[in-house]
Amino acid sequence: MQRRFLSSVSASAGGTKTLNPRRWSVKQVKKTNFKSTLDDIRTSIDSSDFIALSLQNTGSYAAAWHRVSAIDTPQTSYLKAKYAAERYQIFQFALCPFSLRGSKLTVHPYNFHLFPRDELKLGMPSYSFSCQASRLTAMAREGFDFNTCIYEGISYLSRTQESASKFLSGNPILADPIVDVPSSPSTVADTVFVGRIRSRVKNWRQSCLDSSSKTGGDDDLVSSLRKLVLGSEQYGSRLCLTIDVCSERQAQLIVEMLTEFSDDVVPLLVASKSRGTQAVRAVFMSSKEDKDLFKRELRDLETEENRRVRGFREVVDLISSSQKPLVSQNYLSDFTSIHAKFLGPLPSDVDEFSSSLSSAFPNVVDLSQFMKEISPLSNISNLPAAMSSLNRFFAPVDVEVANQGCPVKLDEGHQMHGQNAVMISQLFAKLCTIKKSDQSSVQSNEDLQALVSDEDVKVWSKNSRRVSSENLVFVWGLGKKMTAAMLKNALQKSHAVFAKDFDVKYLDRSCAVVVFWESGSSETFLGAVNDEEKLGGGGSLREMVAEGLRAAGYESYKRACRLGFWEADLAESLEKTLESSDRDLDLDTKPSEIDWSSELAINFDEL
Amino acid sequence: MRRHKRWPLRPLASVLVRPHLFSSAAETVGASTSTVAAFPLKHVKRSDFETTLTELRSHVKAADFVAIDLEMTGVTSAPWRDSLEFDRYDVRYLKVKDSAEKFAVVQFGVCPFRWDSHTQTFLSHPHNFFVYPRQELAFDPPAHEFLCQTTSMDFLAKYQFDFNACIHEGISYLSRRQEEEASKRLEMLYDEEGVAETEDVKLVRLADTLFAERMKKTLSEWRSQLLHGGNASSSESQKMSTQSTQTVFHHMRPALRLQGFTSHQLRVIQLVLGKHFGDLVYIHANDDKSSCSQDFVVYTDSESDKDNLLVSILQKEAKDERKRVAERKIQSAVGFRQVIDLLSSEKKLIVGHNCFLDIAHVYSKFVGPLPWTAEEFVASINNHFPYIVDTKILLNVNPMLHQRMKKSSTSLSSAFSSLCPQIESSSRSSDPFLEKRVKIDVEVDNVRYSNWNAGGKHEAGYDAFMTGCIFAQACSHLGFDFKHDSQSENLAQNEKLEKYMNRLYLSWTRGDIIDLGTGNSNAENWRVSKFKYENIVLIWNFPRKLKAREIKECICKAFGSTSVTCVYHIDDTAVFVLFKNSELVSDFLTLKQQLESDDGPVTILHPLSKILQGGNTGAADYEAYKEICSSHISKILFSDQAETVGVKSRTRPEPKGETSSETERRENRVGVTNNASDLIDAFLANRVQVEAARTN
Repeated sequence: MQRRFLSSVSASAGGTKTLNPRRWSVKQVKKTNFKSTLDDIRTSIDSSDFIALSLQNTGSYAAAWHRVSAIDTPQTSYLKAKYAAERYQIFQFALCPFSLRGSKLTVHPYNFHLFPRDELKLGMPSYSFSCQASRLTAMAREGFDFNTCIYEGISYLSRTQESASKFLSGNPILADPIVDVPSSPSTVADTVFVGRIRSRVKNWRQSCLDSSSKTGGDDDLVSSLRKLVLGSEQYGSRLCLTIDVCSERQAQLIVEMLTEFSDDVVPLLVASKSRGTQAVRAVFMSSKEDKDLFKRELRDLETEENRRVRGFREVVDLISSSQKPLVSQNYLSDFTSIHAKFLGPLPSDVDEFSSSLSSAFPNVVDLSQFMKEISPLSNISNLPAAMSSLNRFFAPVDVEVANQGCPVKLDEGHQMHGQNAVMISQLFAKLCTIKKSDQSSVQSNEDLQALVSDEDVKVWSKNSRRVSSENLVFVWGLGKKMTAAMLKNALQKSHAVFAKDFDVKYLDRSCAVVVFWESGSSETFLGAVNDEEKLGGGGSLREMVAEGLRAAGYESYKRACRLGFWEADLAESLEKTLESSDRDLDLDTKPSEIDWSSELAINFDEL
Repeated sequence: MRRHKRWPLRPLASVLVRPHLFSSAAETVGASTSTVAAFPLKHVKRSDFETTLTELRSHVKAADFVAIDLEMTGVTSAPWRDSLEFDRYDVRYLKVKDSAEKFAVVQFGVCPFRWDSHTQTFLSHPHNFFVYPRQELAFDPPAHEFLCQTTSMDFLAKYQFDFNACIHEGISYLSRRQEEEASKRLEMLYDEEGVAETEDVKLVRLADTLFAERMKKTLSEWRSQLLHGGNASSSESQKMSTQSTQTVFHHMRPALRLQGFTSHQLRVIQLVLGKHFGDLVYIHANDDKSSCSQDFVVYTDSESDKDNLLVSILQKEAKDERKRVAERKIQSAVGFRQVIDLLSSEKKLIVGHNCFLDIAHVYSKFVGPLPWTAEEFVASINNHFPYIVDTKILLNVNPMLHQRMKKSSTSLSSAFSSLCPQIESSSRSSDPFLEKRVKIDVEVDNVRYSNWNAGGKHEAGYDAFMTGCIFAQACSHLGFDFKHDSQSENLAQNEKLEKYMNRLYLSWTRGDIIDLGTGNSNAENWRVSKFKYENIVLIWNFPRKLKAREIKECICKAFGSTSVTCVYHIDDTAVFVLFKNSELVSDFLTLKQQLESDDGPVTILHPLSKILQGGNTGAADYEAYKEICSSHISKILFSDQAETVGVKSRTRPEPKGETSSETERRENRVGVTNNASDLIDAFLANRVQVEAARTN
């Protein structure tokens, strides 16, 4: 705790200047200048130690309880984030590679405008996306330019989509002669088919050889007639033969057969618009050199095409391959979005997600975690506020914008986008300086390791108490509107189990959670509610159940998240979960711990 | 298609002032002021909505008909939600319902047309409303969301749709249902208050007790100061009063304004007042202008005065005041729905082009949640819009008009150019058939135009104008004589239109027509169905590489070469199989189940194994398809959708044992087995087993 000796006096004297939220000039990247900016970005990333990022999404949660809250375990938090990441769209991706030398922070801020363009008309990168009306209104208030975003946004494909699109883009693909599936025993039909095609190819090849040997000997009529008869076509400057196929099996047979002619015939697969291979195209090569040249041409074409469809993902790949630590304000929501849009579909389990993510981005710093280590009481969601909460530390940071030069004129409205990424890097720099104020040296790699989060998702709150998720019970179904205090009162009188201390909070309009401080109480309560006998003859609990009170344990909540019952009201979702008969076993049945805080749950009395 | 968007030509001055916005128009204007200008169109945003509404009211009242058109953020929430060959009318309705519920309306074109007998022309007033579902009520239901289809957004962008205008300045709205709910919530809010407010506050926390003590002291000081006048007694109270309390007059009585307290603290203050101060009354009032609430402690000089204040005047007044403010807020949140209410209350003839989806949008956005069945929808929509004409129906159903279209497409823009060339090219003087052409003028902001360039396609206001022009021209071809029997005549009642009234395309591609007029319409009579839906099986999650033809082969191997009429792809992951008869449907589903429960060699060698490979293949009858379509979930792939909705294990229930069909089936079965020569013994054995199970 070296920071103790830092006096607040010195902080106010020295630190404030750099803490004012300033506007930095951020390079705005759109469809038009994307290509030309790519090299700059590469250099910026290479020359930096860290990369800060910040996303602007079209929404965050559709209903109050979809928000990650204090009662969530890593798994349920992840599922909530996954649900949001799959539905909403990233409109802006602010990226700020930076390095920190002493107190000097060098930043290279970029802001990319993104829009998913279904260029191949295949529903990729996305068929549709959701918008939260209020979120767009808020963005509009901040001066967001939707026209720029939609007209000029850069499109992209995820890694998974790119490999899928290879077959779908309609470009011919070099057939792989090594067959991946051991070919099933050939039937008579196969043999007949192959024989027929073989003779067709032979004839055609012969004609190719003939025409190449006697250059220009034939008159036009004869050559065109021959073409007609043999079905020969031109592929670029080369002759080719297109053989239509009815199934993948046939395509495979033809490719196998064509290896007999591998000296001068190269097979290409022509994909149909939607389903598999439509035809095999045999292209005639005039020489060995020609064949190499052709293969190179094809590869270049493919690379070019890939680059085109990949779009913005090129930048994500650059970040990924640089292996630089990433700094993000909101780890879970940012990286589920990034994974869903640029890597591939999100796995259903948080551990799989972590491992999948770390294979692409091994080092991720969750700024909120880091912040909590230094200043446990600050709220990270408001960056300027978080910044000023660090005022009491003396940690001057001088910011230099490397890719633009000077701070921008304030009237250039659109330049304001992407400021967050700069602020994140600033905040990070500040925290680093505070953390290592005694050894004001350059970040060494070892120190870094300590900062890089182990991708743990921890829910944190002030005045929290750790409780096992087993001790939580969800209650709903009481028709009339009750405040938490009223509900608590009513419960207190209803059953013996409530004689001991417990806590009640509303999670949304429909459903409250009851926290028992003693283990076992939750089972007693749940048992009582669901069992006629235990409910007893009289008592107000019976009365409440008759009025419609329903209760479920944490297990049901987890299942609701897992099964994707994202109804607007939590009560509705829990009902659906209880109804759904499919009782597949949850692997993760051990109770997890959460941090219960009396402050964090949403207080609906004040809404 | 024009690349440049023509912005409206408002009075010339505005064009010159803002040339950057009107580039295409400005060019023309710059060259010569007498040449034709861009299409005049009134764009309406939030700021000028109220004033425009008043004008629009009079236009609509005077109109003979009103043309409408909508621009949405998308049409289908998944590829398979598109209109498919095998969609029964009820499924088709569910798909339209899904679309109207998920996507947002971003532009609403309203164009009233009125016959002007002086000039012998139709006078139109094209309005282009930017609409956006902004949440204006703080106590609104949970976050409103809408879907955007990327291709639709791209399409809008291609026609230079102004998204900024829409989101920044779009007019918001509430449906009738939403308004009712908001008012109800409001009532509850005010009924609850005042009664029980102070009851459940208990001073449990130490902080509360201390705070209550402090407030008691402050209030008694303030009161004594008030009564005995003059100098403030303690410095503490002064400090307090500067901070969070301030002496003012409230309803001509001295009052203390409370500021900066939390709702909990205010409740504690109320408690203190109730306990210790008989003559001080707590008032919660809403400020009209700032719309924020204020809290006062008011001094009353006698018990009767207090009663006056409390019962008769103040409490109620303040409450009513608040209620009025809230009601006004709701009223203004109703926003664009006022236009819809206007169209509905005037019972004007509404004209749209291929407008069933538009009408569904209107219903779901401005009336309430769409009903579950087409029948209920029909019954309900008729109450709101009794007269709707779809120009697409008019052009396709009327043989004379159909011929006039010269077989060109009946899409809006091509119908417009073939029926109304004089308007599109504005070459009226040179048109030899001028007499047959209906003349149409445009009036925007009290400026009348009869010359302009066509443009602004896919701008809702312009599209509505085109629709109206098509309708007017079509009416003229149908034999309407606007010159002689206009004004007195109600178009909607005219017998020449009767055949087309309230008939809309439920699905244009399939030619399904729905009749909105007859409340008791029999759905089956809308159209003679091409297929027997009970003969259809839905199969999904089969190996991806299988094509329709291969699937047909597999099934024919098992059930006979004539058993399957056709196989039709829903998407890559699912097919419809149309069997020859419905018995084969249940046979197929039973056999599938049997093969799945048995993993012996029989299963592997069976012809169906090719389809069942992977073990995830699902199959169900047509009713399951309906169920899948009715879900509010929309997965991109049909197989994912089917799994999520959870019809995986569903099979068609055993058909009731009717003896006649039983024998028929048996005969059929023999034929099947004879035809399928390549059935292996094992399979036959298995089949017999199935048969046995059935007869038992």
